[in-house]
Amino acid sequence: MRRALAVAACVAALAGAAPGQVPPRHDYLLHCSGCHRPDGGGAEGGVPSLIGLDRFLRAPGGRDYLIRAPGVAQAPVSDERLAALMNWVVVEFGTAGVSPRYTREEVGLLRARPLRDGTELRARLLAAPTRRAP
Amino acid sequence: MSSPLDHWFERAARGLARRSGRRSFLARVGLGLVGSAAVPLLPVARAAPDAARVGPPPEDIDGPQGDVKSCQYWRYCAIDGLLCSCCGGTHTACPPGTEMAPVTWVGTCRNPADGKDYIVSYNDCCGKTFCARCFCNRNEGERPAYYWYRNNDINWCFGTKSQIYHCSVAVVLGVAVEGQPEK
Repeated sequence: MRRALAVAACVAALAGAAPGQVPPRHDYLLHCSGCHRPDGGGAEGGVPSLIGLDRFLRAPGGRDYLIRAPGVAQAPVSDERLAALMNWVVVEFGTAGVSPRYTREEVGLLRARPLRDGTELRARLLAAPTRRAP
Repeated sequence: MSSPLDHWFERAARGLARRSGRRSFLARVGLGLVGSAAVPLLPVARAAPDAARVGPPPEDIDGPQGDVKSCQYWRYCAIDGLLCSCCGGTHTACPPGTEMAPVTWVGTCRNPADGKDYIVSYNDCCGKTFCARCFCNRNEGERPAYYWYRNNDINWCFGTKSQIYHCSVAVVLGVAVEGQPEK
């Protein structure tokens, strides 16, 4: 029994999701990778790289920005799947995860508040002095 | 005058020669060669159900759904353009002299060979004039231009040195858990 549990835990860990859930990597490939590319590298001339994405989490307001950014907020997935996707993205392309992790409720509230000028906010966040990761 | 080391190697070599021969060595090598060649012929994998398939999607589909130069080839379900497989490239590689756009339409197509949906990336190949062969206009799942990432009327030669469109490829990124929302 213990071995069966261990095997089940390993399978769930490998899949990156609990049974019945869509793996975040799946949603990344389908909804994000067309522009940001499968390796997160972005494209010259207008698509930002996601490498080191967690630097936004160290700037005031950056945590909210990562969900309110147009491509994220408008992704055709539920709040729950978007939370799982972004928790995965920050770990996959950053050097540290997001703490506390995004929840369905937080994502739902944030994506309901569209940004008036995401590009300007992004530039401001990148220029802001960062604080240490919590 | 021989050293103890020489004696040791001599004893080891003579012992090996007593226990085995060149013929038995060749027989084992031959068995290995025949065995490794025969393994792929065993009927195990062919008899397995489609659900047990792993790895890249099968290409051995009969008819137009398996012909990479046909618009009906299963991976081309959302394509609107010219097939690189008719233009000096393949269904996954750009023709020489063109550059693959890094920014793409990504959607899903169902493979009739196993009934599964696959995540497909439609990369445009750019940098040479219109190929003008194998026009294909299926557009399944396309949405209006304000839904730009599911629209085929915009120029997807983005992120390349040249914005001149030549042809399109369809690269499978993985197995989809479900089809894309737009169908």
